Amino acid sequence: MCRTGQDPESSETEDEADTDALFIALLEDSAEELYESAPCGYLSTLMDGTIAKINATLLRWLGMEREAVVGRRRFTDLLTVGGKLYHETHFAPLLRMKGELSGIALEMKTADGGRLPVLVSSTVKHSGEGEPLLIRTTVFDASDRRTYEEELLHRKREAEQARAEAEQARAEAEEARRQAEADRVRLADALAVLQQSLLPASLPAAPGLETAVYYHTASPDRLGGDFYDLFPIDGARWGFFLGDVCGKGPEAAALTSLVRYTLRAAALHDPEPATALATLNAVLHERYAASGDVRYCTAIFGVVDTGSRPGHATVRLASGGHPSALILRAGGHAEFLPTPGGLLVGILPSAPATTAETVLEPGDTLLLYTDGLTEARTGPTHNSLYGEDALHAFATAHAPCTPQEAIGALSELLDSFGDGLDDDTALLALGVPAVPPHPLPATKHDR
Amino acid sequence: MENWVVMDICRRNNVTVTGRSDGPVVVLAHGFGCDQNMWRLIVPALTERYRVVLFDYVGSGGSELSAWSEDRYASLDGYAQDVVDVCDELDLERAVFVGHSVSAMIGVLAAQAAPERIGALVMVTPSPCYIDDDGYLGGFTAHDIDELLAALEANYLGWSSTMAPVIMGNPERPELGEELTNSFCATDPDIARVFARTTFLSDSRQDLKSVHVPTLVLECVQDVIAPREVGAFVHAAIPSSRLVSLDATGHCPQLSAPEATARAILDFLESL
Amino acid sequence: MSSLTITDRDAAAGPVVEVTGDLDYTHAAALRRQVERLTLRPGQCLVIDLAGLRFCDSSGITALLAARQHALAAGADIALAAVPANTLRILTVIGLDRIFTLHPAASTA
Repeated sequence: MCRTGQDPESSETEDEADTDALFIALLEDSAEELYESAPCGYLSTLMDGTIAKINATLLRWLGMEREAVVGRRRFTDLLTVGGKLYHETHFAPLLRMKGELSGIALEMKTADGGRLPVLVSSTVKHSGEGEPLLIRTTVFDASDRRTYEEELLHRKREAEQARAEAEQARAEAEEARRQAEADRVRLADALAVLQQSLLPASLPAAPGLETAVYYHTASPDRLGGDFYDLFPIDGARWGFFLGDVCGKGPEAAALTSLVRYTLRAAALHDPEPATALATLNAVLHERYAASGDVRYCTAIFGVVDTGSRPGHATVRLASGGHPSALILRAGGHAEFLPTPGGLLVGILPSAPATTAETVLEPGDTLLLYTDGLTEARTGPTHNSLYGEDALHAFATAHAPCTPQEAIGALSELLDSFGDGLDDDTALLALGVPAVPPHPLPATKHDR
Repeated sequence: MENWVVMDICRRNNVTVTGRSDGPVVVLAHGFGCDQNMWRLIVPALTERYRVVLFDYVGSGGSELSAWSEDRYASLDGYAQDVVDVCDELDLERAVFVGHSVSAMIGVLAAQAAPERIGALVMVTPSPCYIDDDGYLGGFTAHDIDELLAALEANYLGWSSTMAPVIMGNPERPELGEELTNSFCATDPDIARVFARTTFLSDSRQDLKSVHVPTLVLECVQDVIAPREVGAFVHAAIPSSRLVSLDATGHCPQLSAPEATARAILDFLESL
Repeated sequence: MSSLTITDRDAAAGPVVEVTGDLDYTHAAALRRQVERLTLRPGQCLVIDLAGLRFCDSSGITALLAARQHALAAGADIALAAVPANTLRILTVIGLDRIFTLHPAASTA
């Protein structure tokens, strides 16, 4: 745009001049004034650190007189001892190498013995030939910043400590968990050993008999209360028993142990089944019920005699409140061996026990079981019980079979109950072999 | 196999070998606070006639920080073992060991441990004990050392933000080169704390008696860390020593008075 | 999931405890505690009404025997009323049908 008839320059120049004058007047500052009263400390030293120049601000901060400092003190003299060490080991070497440094945290000593945290920046001034001449240093009061940084460091240390403690706690928790798991495994091992001490893992070989056992544990961390045993009485007679003590866990285990040893001892004294159970009843009643504790068991106790007829066995057994034994006959049918009228063992001072007797022919198998089998809940809602009738039908369908076969089939049946089987279950089967293991010598015919 | 081990120690201690390959060997060892770049202004004076070996102690400069352990480096013997390791790997015999500050004492310990490796010592601003003791003037109290540790701590926050740009950019001294130690003086604070404690709380006065090799003690007339009383003490304790006082200020004459320092070392080397 | 509800009331001859649900390992102890809290006088008859009993295992049997012991200790008698067929079968097997007095229903006890 053309602005003829005017001198645009003149008025603008005047304005600028006015502004500059005002600016200078307002500043009222000389370089000297600026140096002395700047809001930071200034310091110039020779290369050996001797202070050549220092501004009023820094002198005021330090509470020192100029005459006491200039030419008389070195920069390091103004520092705390720690600051001196740091200066000598870090600051000075680095400044020599780099020619400049900024923002180094140091502490200065004030005349009254106080400490002034500062941030120091230095530059080396070189001659035209590159020779270092002097060091220019600015000093900023860093009290606030140092407080802040110390707080940061403090927090950092706290955080590190907290982290270490958390890690420690985590490690301890992990160790406790590992320990608990180890304890659990050890307990399970101990329980398994204890359970095995209560139950023979395998039955002794009884000549002329076949035997098989099975034990279903409902819960591995709770000792079961079912028991069984087979033991020799004399030459051809063997005692056997199977039962169920009330309760679970250590108390049941103690009771099981008592029952087992009482029955064995009683049988050796008098093997008549009803007498053995009567002895057990008296022992349990005296030990528990008489003192107000309800502890009892159900049991079938029997004696099997293979001596009366070769290839056959006579069985006498008595039941104290226990489900009837079942016989799978060689002829392909099954029958209960009823023992009515028997009472739980241990609840009354004396308890009647009913004795029953049968003969096992070759191929017959006698089955004893605890009520875990017959009380197993079946059906889609687990609302009905398996029951004795179903067991009878099952046995009939499998007869004839050896004790091993019977136990095998029943253990599969137990598996098939799944969650419906919530109690321990013991099975014991014994029978006479269908074919004698040592065939009789051929009959001698007269020539 | 042997080659591999050599490589390993050389990498661990960031070993640099320069100068005349068939010349007598001079090992230059840095002190607390910095690394081998401390010798930059001295090295050129030596390379014409000598084979110069430079290295960083584990935990300093360009060393392998992963090789550091507080157990080993909480005593001067750990650092002396670094020296012996480097001498062994390079198979040095009767080398001249130049140690600055605490390294002077580390050299004494290394010469004890491997006398066949070290034939002479140059002790630059040495001090066998920094803490004042009954009748001995080391210059410091244990409390002063705590203050140094506090100063190290106070600058910890600064290392990443403030120091790094300064170290990286080097406009006025291009001859120092870019490779110059991004790590110069910038040590891991935990490692620095251990080195500081080990350096300033050690008392190796008894070890001076074991020195029988020719020894040069270099002191500065103005050194707050190793005052002249200490230089006199070291000189008196080593009969085979020569004491040279440099007209220099500070604890690092190789930086503040490189020519005079190099001259003193060369005079000593030539006298051997 | 099994459950058990126990309520008790006083009848002319003595307290009547009604058991509804499952007397199994989980719940049998509740019956024992409930019965032990009852105060019985000599000559009274404690009636356990099992009309609502769905299931009874050996733990339940133990609780019933404990109730019997509690009653006898107080000089009282005990009777089981309306025992479901399942449980009656078990009681018969273990001989308890001859130890407990059994009634078809609580009202006839």
